[in-house]
Amino acid sequence: MPKSRSTPKLTRRTALAGLSASAAMLAMPRLGRAADETIRIGFPTPLTGPFAAEARDQVKCAELAVKLVNDKGGIGGRKVELLVRDDKLNAGEAATRTLELIEKDKVHAVVGALSSAVQLAVNEVTRARGVIYVSISQSDTINEAKDFSKYTFHEALNPHMTTSAVARQTLKKGMKVAHLVADYAYGHEMLRGFKRAQAAIGADNVGEILHPFGAADYSTFMPRLMSMRPDVLCISNFGRDQANAIKQAVDFGVKQQMKIVVPVILHNQRLAVGPDVFEGVVGGANYYWGLETQNKTAADFNAAFKAANGGAIPTDYGAYGYSGVGSLLAAMQTAGGTETDKVVDALEKLQYDLTKGPQHFRKCDHQSVQSVLVLESKKKSAMATDNDLFAIVANDSGSDEMLRSCSELGHAT
Amino acid sequence: MTSPSSGEAVAKPASGSLSWLLEQRVLMSVAVLAVLPWLLPSQALAVNVLIYGVVVMGYNLLFGYTGLLSFGQAAFFGAGAYFTGIAIGRYGVPWFLAVAIAVLLSTCLAAAIGIVSTRTRGIYFAMVTLALAQLVYYVALQASSFTGGENGLRGFTVDRISLFGLSVNFLDPVNKYYVLMALAALAMWFQSRILNSPFGAVIEAIRENEQRARACGYNVERSKLIVFMLSGAISSLGGCMLALHLSIVPLDILHYQTSGMIVMMVLLGGARSFFGPFVGAATFLILEDVISVWTPHWQIFVGAIFVLFVLFLPKGIWGTLLDTLGIGKARR
Repeated sequence: MPKSRSTPKLTRRTALAGLSASAAMLAMPRLGRAADETIRIGFPTPLTGPFAAEARDQVKCAELAVKLVNDKGGIGGRKVELLVRDDKLNAGEAATRTLELIEKDKVHAVVGALSSAVQLAVNEVTRARGVIYVSISQSDTINEAKDFSKYTFHEALNPHMTTSAVARQTLKKGMKVAHLVADYAYGHEMLRGFKRAQAAIGADNVGEILHPFGAADYSTFMPRLMSMRPDVLCISNFGRDQANAIKQAVDFGVKQQMKIVVPVILHNQRLAVGPDVFEGVVGGANYYWGLETQNKTAADFNAAFKAANGGAIPTDYGAYGYSGVGSLLAAMQTAGGTETDKVVDALEKLQYDLTKGPQHFRKCDHQSVQSVLVLESKKKSAMATDNDLFAIVANDSGSDEMLRSCSELGHAT
Repeated sequence: MTSPSSGEAVAKPASGSLSWLLEQRVLMSVAVLAVLPWLLPSQALAVNVLIYGVVVMGYNLLFGYTGLLSFGQAAFFGAGAYFTGIAIGRYGVPWFLAVAIAVLLSTCLAAAIGIVSTRTRGIYFAMVTLALAQLVYYVALQASSFTGGENGLRGFTVDRISLFGLSVNFLDPVNKYYVLMALAALAMWFQSRILNSPFGAVIEAIRENEQRARACGYNVERSKLIVFMLSGAISSLGGCMLALHLSIVPLDILHYQTSGMIVMMVLLGGARSFFGPFVGAATFLILEDVISVWTPHWQIFVGAIFVLFVLFLPKGIWGTLLDTLGIGKARR
């Protein structure tokens, strides 16, 4: 039988001394961290996982927003620092990272997230601790009274706004519409938005098929969708799923039979599969660089991004990173610092124009009222350059009428 | 059951203060955990080590001590979290009662899954537990009016913890850590008690030679079912702690990847050792935390390290350390 008595030399005294010494060593760096004047913004985003391409664009643009403020001397003489953390597209991980950002890094505000579940998790952590959170991912739920707090701001479009703008351009009375929907919150909210818009327009629903998140194979869905004989097929999914679904739909000859419509047409996914696949697909967007011919702010934003990133152009989800951080920093400028109540007040009153025209946060739910673009993917022969991806079909300027009413969301009016 | 300290203290009285200390595995483990928040980069990470430590410890009872490789432990981890969140958020139950209810209901779930799965063995047992855990996942996904579905369960933030007239601010990370550590200590005492009991010897006998245990007159089937339930109960307490800690329950907690992570943690730390699960959880979470700040390709490094450990330290970090120091495996 092995016995613990066979451990020589290791006495209680030396063990205790060794333990306390190593504890002291490890605690050393913590003592060196004194209070400084830097303004710290936490930025959880899914750097790994299926939305990594969009997340990297968000980081680049958020860093640009910070750089531009720092180049002008910061906020009241204080430099701004962006603390980027990988939330791995996992709500639990995001909540943990946000706790870390608040408790350990003592951030003054949090911006970020790229999924409905993740942003709601981050919001739950920040609102309990009275920290401002600017979400830059689509969600209808975060507007609703149950998840709202005075510290919650939503910079991204929401599914209701996006789908109604897209439906206005693509659906007509009496049209038959079928849906292919990713089976998670994003897909469900988009579907709900489309159906609501359909009912208002008078288009008929002929069927809907749910597919699992991250599905690679859509071949079983396509014949079923085609047998429904719709005029329009709405594909409500995100990231790689969008490219995969459209690609396989094209392989099945879906486009000869019906028009393909998506709630949000993704810049990176269009780049990933090429013009032939996406040709003629119509979808909504918060931003497209081609807006620069119509809009001075867009031209300035593009120029600043190109200068900082070796001539690359900013993408749709990237623009959220820029305006999310940019609007927060602008409010901090007005508030003259980071005092939460003052910054909240400044954000509520803020009129900003950072990427595409005037925006402001609606008072009751802190949803950013902003323009919605509707884009159509160009065919190869119509593209002037490799970056000339989309034609702008419509640019609906922002108004409160685009949103669900405050009372519908459960806010006191 | 006799008094809680009878197992160790009475067996070897006054045989040197160090060896006496080494035998107090619960006391020693709690002492290490008590200084953890000051050793790790952040309190949030320390709390996660506690939570996953408890979950993996529960799993170790099943995998390490009984030799049943289950791939469905996430079901109990998640059930504990969901039941706690629903009890607090929907029914306004006080937190300690919510935890008790959650553990009780999760144990019932473990009984249901255990009745079906413990009839099988080996790879079939692993597959049946995996399938049933996935069933739980899809129930949570579909029953969104109860669980919040894909968006996860929210709206049950516990900001003050009150018990016996004492009230502390639970949003403070240090308070939170020590409240949760008390729950973890309870789980450790419970597990230690199980392992020191005759039942603890029976499950190890089943692991070593099931036929022989049966020949000795032990009811192998019933023992397996009981250990499955106990294991589920302890892991579900980890789920309760997670719900209190994050104030959300993410749906991913029920995903089979979580089950896989639990298996990885127990292998890293050392199956069959009392404190190994905490070492495994800490190693995994620290690696993930530190490396993912450096590079988005952190999974390559964590994966490579895991493979190296399995190849060269099959007893895990803690098991190998104890062997090297010559401390018997029955201790800690």
